[in-house]
Amino acid sequence: MSLRRLSTTTLIQLLLIFNTVMVLYPIWVMSLSSFKSTREIFRNPFGLPESFNLDNFIKIWQQTNFPLYFRNSVVVTSGSIVLILILGIMAAYALGRYQFRGNELLYLFFLSGLMLPLRLALIPLFIELKAFGLINSHLGLIFIYAAQGLPSAVFIMTGFLRTLPSDLENAARIDGASELQILLRVMLPLTRPALVIVSIYNLVPVWNDFFFPLVFIQSENLKTLPLGLTVFMGQYSTDWAVLFAGLTAAAIPVIVLYVILSRQFIAGLTAGALK
Amino acid sequence: MMAKSTTKRLLLITLVLSLVGFGLAQTKLTFWSWRTEDVDEYNEIIAGYEAEHPGVDIEFQAYETSTYQTVLSAALSAGEAGDIVHVRAYGNFETIADFLLPLDDQVPALADFPRLALDGERRRSDGRVYAVPFASQTLVVYYNTDIFSELGLAPPETWDEFLSTAQTIKDNGYIPLANGTATTWMNEVFMGVFGPNFYGAEFFDDIMAGEADFTDARFTGALEKLLELRPYMTPDFEGIDYATAQNLFANGLAAMFAGGSWEIANFRDLNPDLNFDLMPGPAAEAGQPQLVSWFLDGGYAVNAASPNQEEALEFVRFLATQEFGQQLTDMLQNISPIPGVVSTDPLLAKVAELNQTSTPYIMLVGFRYETPSGSVMMQERLPGMFAGEITPEQVGSEVTEGIATYFAPFQN
Amino acid sequence: MKDGPNLTRTPPAKGGFRLGRRASRAIWLATLLVPPALLFLTFVVYPMISALVYSLYEWRGISRLGFYGLENFRTLLFDQPWQAWTINAFWHNVVVFVTLMVVQNAVALVLALILGSNPRGSRFYQVVFFLPVTLALVLVGFQWKLFLNPMFGVVNKLLDALSQGIERLVGLQVDLSQPWLGQESTALVALILVNAWRWLGFPTIVFLAGIRSIPHEYFEAARLDGANEWQVARHVTWPLLAPAVTIIVILTFIGSFNWFDLPYVMAGLDGPPGKSTDVLGLYFYRTAFGEVSGGLQNFGQGSALAVLMFLFILVVSVVWTRALRSREVELQ
Repeated sequence: MSLRRLSTTTLIQLLLIFNTVMVLYPIWVMSLSSFKSTREIFRNPFGLPESFNLDNFIKIWQQTNFPLYFRNSVVVTSGSIVLILILGIMAAYALGRYQFRGNELLYLFFLSGLMLPLRLALIPLFIELKAFGLINSHLGLIFIYAAQGLPSAVFIMTGFLRTLPSDLENAARIDGASELQILLRVMLPLTRPALVIVSIYNLVPVWNDFFFPLVFIQSENLKTLPLGLTVFMGQYSTDWAVLFAGLTAAAIPVIVLYVILSRQFIAGLTAGALK
Repeated sequence: MMAKSTTKRLLLITLVLSLVGFGLAQTKLTFWSWRTEDVDEYNEIIAGYEAEHPGVDIEFQAYETSTYQTVLSAALSAGEAGDIVHVRAYGNFETIADFLLPLDDQVPALADFPRLALDGERRRSDGRVYAVPFASQTLVVYYNTDIFSELGLAPPETWDEFLSTAQTIKDNGYIPLANGTATTWMNEVFMGVFGPNFYGAEFFDDIMAGEADFTDARFTGALEKLLELRPYMTPDFEGIDYATAQNLFANGLAAMFAGGSWEIANFRDLNPDLNFDLMPGPAAEAGQPQLVSWFLDGGYAVNAASPNQEEALEFVRFLATQEFGQQLTDMLQNISPIPGVVSTDPLLAKVAELNQTSTPYIMLVGFRYETPSGSVMMQERLPGMFAGEITPEQVGSEVTEGIATYFAPFQN
Repeated sequence: MKDGPNLTRTPPAKGGFRLGRRASRAIWLATLLVPPALLFLTFVVYPMISALVYSLYEWRGISRLGFYGLENFRTLLFDQPWQAWTINAFWHNVVVFVTLMVVQNAVALVLALILGSNPRGSRFYQVVFFLPVTLALVLVGFQWKLFLNPMFGVVNKLLDALSQGIERLVGLQVDLSQPWLGQESTALVALILVNAWRWLGFPTIVFLAGIRSIPHEYFEAARLDGANEWQVARHVTWPLLAPAVTIIVILTFIGSFNWFDLPYVMAGLDGPPGKSTDVLGLYFYRTAFGEVSGGLQNFGQGSALAVLMFLFILVVSVVWTRALRSREVELQ
C-alpha cells in the first residue's frame, strides 16, 4: 500500500516536472536568444550565447523612447484593467446575484461582445473616436480595451458569483447592511479568484496589443510599448536578434509583475476555499 | 524652355509661400508610409525640402508594413489619413483610388515617366494617374561571389548551366538555392524569377489579349521546369520560410537566392561582410535573351480629403523631380522610374540594365484586380505542385478557370 | 435599459414603503448596470452594428456603392472560390476546437486535479504552469516558429535523436523529423499544439480555482464514506467543477472560432501552405483588409463573413451555455 502510494507520488512528481521542463525550456531559449547575434541564432540556436552581450538591448534603448513607451503602456493597461474590473464586477454582480426580468437577455448582450472580431469595427470606431476627439489619446484606447474586455469579465465573474452561497448575503441583509455594503464587504472579498483571473486574462492581450494603438495613436509621445517597438523592429524585420530582444524587452515587465504578484495570485485563487 | 519656366514658377511659388509663411503659422503636412526601414532617409530628404520651402512642415509617419493597408484604408474612409500617402500599385492601389486626387494634370513631370510605370498607378475606369511612381522592382537571382570563386564557378547563363552549377555547389556542401515554399508570396516570386525565360516575352501580351490562357504549354512548361529545381533548394524546403531563406543566403550557408531587387538593401543590412552579386534567371537555351520580371512597387499620392491640397501637391511635384529620384536611388537603394536618374551603386545599375530586357510580373501586373486574384491562386497552388500533389497542367487550368470568372477574354 | 430593469420576484407593492424599496432596488440595479452597458454600447455594439450594416452594401475596395441585399452572403456561401474557402476555413476552426478540448483542456483538468491534491511543490508548479499565458503571443509565435524550423529547430533535432535511438534499439528505420509548418498534413496541428502550450495554464488555473472553492467537508465526508480518489474526483469534484467547465468550454469554443493571432504570426494571413492553416479569423481579415502580397480587400464581403461568424458563434454558445448550465444544476 505504502509502496503504491510512493509510486503514485513519484509518478505525479515526474509528470509535474515534465510539464515544468516543457514550459521553462522554451522560455529559457527565448531569453538566451535575445543575447545572441542573428548569425548565432542560426548557427547555434539552442546553446548558450558566446557572450552575454547586451548589444541588442542597448540598440533598443538608444534608438527608441523605451521609458516613455513603457510609461504610456502602464497608463493604458492599468487604466483599462481598472475599468474592466470595476464595471465588470458591477454588471456581473447585478446579473449573478439578482433575479429580474431581462437578466438573461442582458447577460447575452454582454456576452455577444466575446463573439465579435472588434477589428471589423475599425472604420466606424475610427469615425466615432474622431467625433469624440479621442483619436490620438490614451483615454480612447482605454475605453476601447475596457469595452472589449468587459464581456469576458462579465462572463467569468457572473459564473463565479452564481456559485457563491446566499447565506452570507442574507445574514448581512438581516443585520441591516445596505446593498452597497454587501457588495463591497461581503461579496467582493469572495470574488478575488475571479478578479485575479479576469485581470490576467485581459492584462496580457492589452499590454501586448499593437493593433489599436497603431491605428489610433500618431504622436510619438503617446505611443505604447508594442507600437513603439513595432516601428523600430520594422527596421530590423529580418534581424532576428534585435527582434527577439525587442519582444523580450516588451514581455519582461509582465513576467516580472507576474512573478512578483504570484504569491497574491495563488492566494487569490485559494481565497475561495476560505468560505 | 519648359524646364526654365517650371523653375521660375517654382521660385515664384516658393517666394509667395515664404512670404505667406512670415505672417502665418507653418502648414503642417503628414506623409504616411509603410517604409519603416527608411525613416531616417526620408526625414533627411524632407529636411532638405523644408529648407527650401519654409512655409511647410512635413512629418513622415511610418506604419508597420503588414498592417499599413488596414490603417490606411480605415483612416481614408474616416477622412483622417495623411495629406500625402504612400500607396501600392495595380489592384491594391485601385481599392483606395476613390480617396485620392488625380495627378496627371497636377504634376507635369509625369508626362515624361515611362508608360509602364504610370500604368501601375492608373485607374482603369477613368485612365487617370493617381500617384507618382516611386520605385520599380525586378526579380533576379542573387549569388554569393565568395562561394562561386571558391568553387571556380561563373554565373550560369542557360538553364542547363544553372542546373550543373547548382549540382557542383551541392556536391561541395553548400545549399545551392536558399529558397523554400513556406512563405506563400515567395512562391509567386520564385515563378517570376525563372518563369519568363520559358514562357517568353510575348506571353504577357498574348494573355492580356485573350490569345492564350494559362493552360498554354508555354506556361505549364515553365511550371514544369521549376520542379527541376527541387533537389537544389534548401532541404525540407516546404518548411523554409522567407526569413530563413534570407538568413541562409546572408550568412553564407546558401550560394544563391531567387528574389526581388529589394533584397539588395536587406542582405547588406543582414550581413555587411557578405560579398554577393546578382544575375537574371537563366535562359532556356543558349543565345536567347535572359528575361526578368518587372513591376512597379508603388507611388506617392495626395489624399483627396486633405485640407492642404496645394501644399501636398507641391511636395508631390518635388517627389517627381529628378533631384528626388537621384536621392531615392542613392540613399534608399531603390530603382527610380524617373527619367534621367542614374544608379551609382553597381548592383542597382545592373538591375537598371536588366530592366531593358524585362517582361511584366505577370499575375501582379495583369490579374491582381479582382477576386480570386491570379496571385492568390498561384500562391495557393505552387506549394502543392512542389509537393507533387497537383500537376502544372492542373495549376494552369484551375488558375485559368478562376480568372475566367471576371476576365472576359478567357470566357469563351 | 436606461430606465433600469424591471424587477420580478419582489412581492407586488402594497404601501409606500414597499414601493420605495422596490424603486430603490431598481435604482440600485440601474446604478450597477447602466455604466458598463453604456461603455459597451458605445465602443463595441454601436461600431459593430455600423460595420455589420456594411455587409448589406456592395463595395469596390473601400468605396461603398449601392445597397446589395444579401448578395455578399450568397457569394461567400455559394459562389466559387469563396464557398470552398469558407468551408475550408470553417472546418479548420472545428478541428482547432476539438483538438484544443482534448490536448489543452483535458490535460489542464488532469493537472488541476493533481495540483488540487496539494502535492509537494504545488505552489511552484502553479506559478510555472501559468507562466506561458503571461507571454506575448508574438514572442511565443516567433520562438516556436524557430523551434519548428527544419534547419535550425530543436523539435527536429530531438526527433532525429529519437529516430536514431529507435533505429538502434529496434532496428526500425524511421525519420520522425518533418517540415512541420510547411506540410499541409502537419501545419495546422503544429499551430494548435503551440496554442495549447501557450494557453494550458489558463484552464488549469480556472479548474484549480474551481477545485479550491469546493468546501473541504465535502471531500472529507466522501472519504469517510470510503470513496477512493477516483470516486472523489468523479462524484464530488467533477460535479462541483461544472461552472468552471462551462466557462472553459465556452471560452475555448469562442476562442477557437475567433482564432487569429497565432496563425497570423506563425503561418501568415493566407493560411499556408495551400490554405491548410486558414481559419475564419484570417479569412475575414484578409477579405476585409486585403493582403499586400496577393489579395484585394472588400469591406462588404469581410463584414458579411463577420456576421456569419458572429451568428454561428452566438447561436452555438447560447444553446450550449444553457445546456451546460442546466447540467450544472443537475450535477449539484
